[in-house]
Amino acid sequence: MSRGSATPWLLVAPTQLLLLGVIGLPSLYVMWLALTQSSYGQAPVWVGLQNYRTVLADPYFWRALWNTLIVVNVVVYGELVLAMGIAVLFAGGVPLRRAMIAVVLAPYAVSEVVAVMVWRYLMEPDIGPITHALEALGLPGLDWSVSPVAALGLVGIINVWMHLPFTFILLYTGLLAIPAELYEAARIDGASPWTEFRRITLPVLMPSILVAVLFRIIFAFRMFSEVWLLTQGGPARSTEVVALYLYLTGFRYGDFGGAAAIGVLMLLGSLLLSVFWLRRAYRGMFAHA
Amino acid sequence: MRRRWPVPVLRHIALALICLWSLLPIAVIVLFSLRPARDIFAWPLPLWSAPSFANYVALWQRWPAFWADLGNSLAVTSGATLLAIFASTLAGFGYSRYRGKWLTASAFFTILVRLFPPIVISLPLFPAVNALGLSDTWAVLIVLYAAFYASLGTWVMKATIDQIPRELDEAARIDGAGTWGILRHVILRLAAPGMVASGVFVAVYAWNEFLFAFLFTTTRAKTAPLAIAEMIGSAESSDWGVLFAAASVQLLPMLAAVWLAQRYLVAGLAAGSVKG
Repeated sequence: MSRGSATPWLLVAPTQLLLLGVIGLPSLYVMWLALTQSSYGQAPVWVGLQNYRTVLADPYFWRALWNTLIVVNVVVYGELVLAMGIAVLFAGGVPLRRAMIAVVLAPYAVSEVVAVMVWRYLMEPDIGPITHALEALGLPGLDWSVSPVAALGLVGIINVWMHLPFTFILLYTGLLAIPAELYEAARIDGASPWTEFRRITLPVLMPSILVAVLFRIIFAFRMFSEVWLLTQGGPARSTEVVALYLYLTGFRYGDFGGAAAIGVLMLLGSLLLSVFWLRRAYRGMFAHA
Repeated sequence: MRRRWPVPVLRHIALALICLWSLLPIAVIVLFSLRPARDIFAWPLPLWSAPSFANYVALWQRWPAFWADLGNSLAVTSGATLLAIFASTLAGFGYSRYRGKWLTASAFFTILVRLFPPIVISLPLFPAVNALGLSDTWAVLIVLYAAFYASLGTWVMKATIDQIPRELDEAARIDGAGTWGILRHVILRLAAPGMVASGVFVAVYAWNEFLFAFLFTTTRAKTAPLAIAEMIGSAESSDWGVLFAAASVQLLPMLAAVWLAQRYLVAGLAAGSVKG
């Protein structure tokens, strides 16, 4: 169609303005802010890389980073295994398929706030129903109000509960796209279900798995609300995650420059993680340009 | 798969566990909102409890502002959804039907911004929002929510519009329609599933979002999730019934919307994520 006309630009303008105004330009500003010292009602003063040095020398930053990395890895890979299991189960045919998909999808509609609330109730030390049930089975409850490991464990459970629908849908739609002939051919060759899964399902599904994992890592890495609503990072800053550390640095301790430096580090982390996916998207898009 | 399982019983156990995992927390919220406070932390938990609306009455009396907060959520969600659908449909049409180096670069930018964590953006936005006098207004949340889902929406719409045959565009053009005519008479008629999917993604996000509401609103534009978070903060064990009531009111409309739009949502998520 017509080249050099203004029409396509008019069409994409609202989206581009939103993205530039709300995300693009503020991000550039954050990069500059990271090189300054600034706080509420105070003009930023250039300090070079000082903020990065301070952050990287802060043991609480490393603690938050470790907490985040551990929770993200456990959550994302645990969720992947669960979602894969459910997707394979569903692709094999289930009674009331639509209703069952609706069941798996349900937590997607629930707010983080409400999810934290109900899991907190269920797991409340001493009085929560699941705590009672675990005790009755002779198992220890998750004492998340005292133990950082238990608290982050509960954060992980809530996270998996809320995001399993996303991972499941990506894998399930990927599975449905695999041609049935592949499985029929494998069966004629006498392949076992496990061999079918390893030789057909996994390789064909790999692009969907990579996208699901990438998106989940990026989103889990931003985790804030669950931790904030459950422990506020306590006791004694032991359950902070990176986003919470950023929030406290900027909004509680009023160190905008330091918080901006953390933000830039988070951004770099996200970009590094997704380089391979961005390259693929970039090539795919410019191939048609 | 696509074979008879050796042990159908195991499959049914697995399905039962999946139901339990997904639905138990939601069932607890809704059913326990109808229970008297003493039946919420009792052990053994009474299976049956005569339903009563006492918690809803208490919610009305003790948190009168909650309904206004719910109204804020409704306003912000509607605004963000309309804005995002509007922007995404236009952009999806643009990226589906036009080609060019700079246009592709701008499409790549829409993908790139998905990697930017919202909390990072909040640092410069916080003073800017205050300076513009937009703190604690619907407008700031509407723009933020629409911006964070315009990218996914654009790609869902591009994938949807890519499937509308270009021959229809040409036919309309021959009939004398310009670009806007094609958009109105061809695209808008046929792209509804994509618009529903993009709309539900934004709506779920805007209705449930906590971080931006927490940072940018305090009273006038406070949304329901923020109000519930404050209730949790001030709750004693006797208040749990009220909390469950508030959570049910906040949760059920969105659950109904997600279930109604299920088909579009599943297709949209696959299109918007994988083909990005």
